Amino acid sequence: MVSDGLLGAAVRKQNGDRFLTGRIEYTGDLRMAGMAHMAVVRSTHAHARIVAIDTERARALPGVIALLTGEEALGLAEPIPHNLDPAGLGGQHAEIRCLAVDRVVYAGEPVAAVVAETAGEALAAARAVTVAYEPLPAVLNAQDALAPDAALLYPGWATNEMIAGETADGDFEQAALDADHVIDGELRIQRTSAAPMEPRTYLAAWDERAQRLSWFGTTQNPHPMRWVLAVALRLSESQVHVVAPPLGGAFGLKMHGHPEELLVAILSRMTGRPVRWAESRAECLLAAGREQRHRYRAAFDADGRIRGIEDELVADHGAAAAGPGWGMAFVASLAVGTGYDVQCCRVTYRVVVTNRAPWSGVRGFGKESANLLMETIVERVAETTGLDPVEVRRRNLVTADRFPYRTATGLDLDSGDYHSLLDKVLSKVGYTDARERQAVQRAAGRHVGIGIAFELTPEGADIPGALVGGYDTTTVKIAPTGHVTVLTGVTSPGNGNETAIAQLVAGRLGVPLELLDVVQGDSSLCPYGYGNLSSRSMITGGGSALLAADELGQKLRTVAARMLEATGPDAVVLRDGFAILVADEGHAIPIGAVAHAAHTLAFILALGIDPAMEATCTYRPPNIRHLPDEHGRISPFASFSNAVHAAIVEVDPETGVTVLRRHVVGHDCGTVVNPAFVDGQVYGSVCAGIGLALTEELLHDADGVLRTDGFKSYLLPRATDLPQIELLHQCTPSPFTALGMKGAGESGLGGAQAAIFNAINDALRHRGARIDALPASPARVFAALAQADQAVAA
Amino acid sequence: MTPGTATCQLQLEINGGRRTADVDPRMLLVEALRESFDVIGPKIGCGTGDCGACTIALNGEVVKACLTLAVAAQDAAIVTIEGLASDGQLSSLQEAFWDHNGFQCGYCLSGMLFAAQDLLDHDLHPDDGAIRDAISGNLCRCTGYEPIVNAISAAAQAARSRIDKSRGSNEGAA
Repeated sequence: MVSDGLLGAAVRKQNGDRFLTGRIEYTGDLRMAGMAHMAVVRSTHAHARIVAIDTERARALPGVIALLTGEEALGLAEPIPHNLDPAGLGGQHAEIRCLAVDRVVYAGEPVAAVVAETAGEALAAARAVTVAYEPLPAVLNAQDALAPDAALLYPGWATNEMIAGETADGDFEQAALDADHVIDGELRIQRTSAAPMEPRTYLAAWDERAQRLSWFGTTQNPHPMRWVLAVALRLSESQVHVVAPPLGGAFGLKMHGHPEELLVAILSRMTGRPVRWAESRAECLLAAGREQRHRYRAAFDADGRIRGIEDELVADHGAAAAGPGWGMAFVASLAVGTGYDVQCCRVTYRVVVTNRAPWSGVRGFGKESANLLMETIVERVAETTGLDPVEVRRRNLVTADRFPYRTATGLDLDSGDYHSLLDKVLSKVGYTDARERQAVQRAAGRHVGIGIAFELTPEGADIPGALVGGYDTTTVKIAPTGHVTVLTGVTSPGNGNETAIAQLVAGRLGVPLELLDVVQGDSSLCPYGYGNLSSRSMITGGGSALLAADELGQKLRTVAARMLEATGPDAVVLRDGFAILVADEGHAIPIGAVAHAAHTLAFILALGIDPAMEATCTYRPPNIRHLPDEHGRISPFASFSNAVHAAIVEVDPETGVTVLRRHVVGHDCGTVVNPAFVDGQVYGSVCAGIGLALTEELLHDADGVLRTDGFKSYLLPRATDLPQIELLHQCTPSPFTALGMKGAGESGLGGAQAAIFNAINDALRHRGARIDALPASPARVFAALAQADQAVAA
Repeated sequence: MTPGTATCQLQLEINGGRRTADVDPRMLLVEALRESFDVIGPKIGCGTGDCGACTIALNGEVVKACLTLAVAAQDAAIVTIEGLASDGQLSSLQEAFWDHNGFQCGYCLSGMLFAAQDLLDHDLHPDDGAIRDAISGNLCRCTGYEPIVNAISAAAQAARSRIDKSRGSNEGAA
């Protein structure tokens, strides 16, 4: 007998008062006796041979303790183990060192590191290191990198292609012959960055006597992080203790594979001092993602039914890295087609290395790009057929009666009612009225556009070969005081999953939330887990917490039944802090007393059961399929959240400036544990999508040096850039996961971006203009209008 | 402080207490607060005045502590996020942020709370646009701002009803 009174409640965030009073310690707030500070010397060239590094002047500066070059680091550490080695999926392996040796392959690459008494002294010393470079020819975009005579980044590779792959079902050429229409086009997505408010920060302390490393840092995945450090430093994993303090946001950036994660550890071992590194914003904005070009074709009939899609994705990765960033192109290729019933799909992806800072993981992880592509295609189908774009979606989205549904790229969509969600959003936005108003506004010379997007977000990923699994583990234990501790392998970047997991466990054990703590992010305390990524934390962390709570609950009810002289565990329910006799609710014992009795009278009350007042369980989502089907396709996702977006924009034709007037989003992530946290995820994700659509872009100068190295040039959305986001929900539980939960976190981004992109093109359509690249900056929109006017004049 | 680096003695009143520390004259005020005075509430998100994570009140004025050199703040009275709650009691604004999930990672809270309090000190009837204007100098990457706007709106509402209530009770007494 279980009660789930807390399921679906908007419980406030655990420790919220400590956040609100500035008493939460992030990594950068930790202090250790003797702590020294690291600064990194970075390459100023996109591609160059390192001729010499002069460290004399730097070593003589006040406070300098140690200096390390790539050459010197060679003997101190192994290459950084890959998060997701492309070689495992048929691509090229690159050896990634924490500091460049002989050659740099991007501006910003770590070349040397300095440790000093204070951060300021470390920075001053880093500036005093002189590196002599012999510039080499650089390739600064994917097209140049793929040219036959292109300079190679990695001499061992035959080309600059890191990996390529294809997913296909059906014969696109036949579909194109059979269809009434075939369109082709190009979509260019810009280079963008995760940009959490807290940059990356690491603190390592090597204990020479104990031969142990303590490592505190901004990582989403503490146990895999421990593996990285152990392998690179030639230690056993038991010699490494990784702690992830509360994170100031992550958004994929803080997955393992960054050189500085290892550098602080090497330098602590070298100096015998705890060493901290706090990234600057300029360094943080080196982290890139998403830049890709799609060349697509779509075959469809006059009634708007899409017969087939062909897409060639070329990703401009930047230099190779030990992180999982390149996997975003692979995931994008799997997600093309999204939630549409398109029987024929041929998608190829190529990841190309160029002389710029590498891709790191970033929210959406490729799925946002697939959604943008698909929604662009659907909009163009509407344009060609003359159908309303909503009608094209209605005719092509997978209908609710067809789940589970296997897509042409092999994904096993779990459940949904996409049509009903579409109707809800259209009703909320007042679609028919909005179209009528738009016609009136257009007649008055205004450029108002309406954009719709459906969004499918495959979540809970497990990519074969990556050291971040799709399952996770939780321990739940109860102390003799009745205090419950939940130790989980998932982590929270701030989204509140610790509180939601507490809700689930408290609900199942009938204990008040105040008597329950959730411990995350400690590689020594928590069961081996994979942390936070792919909106997985409630599916896997919540799922395993439920299993463990129920197992411990069964023990508590067994012991309580003996104390209450009841027939067995089923005669007892745990609720409101008491073990209560079902048949006679007047008979009850405080759960704390049951726990105390179980600890002290185990040979009487816990006979015949495992007496440990704890349980450890793993939850493995059943909907992940790694064994390829007859077409060689896998489905590496646990669940499929979905959303529908409607955006109304107005473009100023005199300036090209776009203003977002309204944004409505309908969201379906199955069963919701805490609605406030899910809302927060959707709002945040939609906001990030608005940034991608309108303002965010990493730009480089002609030499490949990043110019958008701060928030005055890399433009995140501010509160005044957004209208009120109008959010509604639908709940279609997954038939596969615990409680029917899907994932929340990434969903929102791709759909918002696509709806706004479509809305802008809708606003430009009557002028004969369109944009095929993002962001929709004023300059780009203005140029599109000017070009259309010229075409008319000619 | 290391021999060889000239340091200055900086005296501040921080959250009501007189404090003195040696600081590197190159330090920004936020760096000095965090590293020399061990006041960790203000965070460093950009160092260029764009994100607001380092916001404090300096002699009663809400400022970004990364835009001032520490030595320029000699003898100043400073309030940080640690000083916003009195006697361990959260302010009604802080409670509203908690109730409305007005933060996720919490890194931007110094900026959001000071900007919001500054708004409410001047305007208890802010509309959506006024609230968004008030926090537009601060960046948040988690919330999409919507829950923050809701929290501030709710705090204004709560403040208005407190005033109405006290007026009502005063009138009753009269």
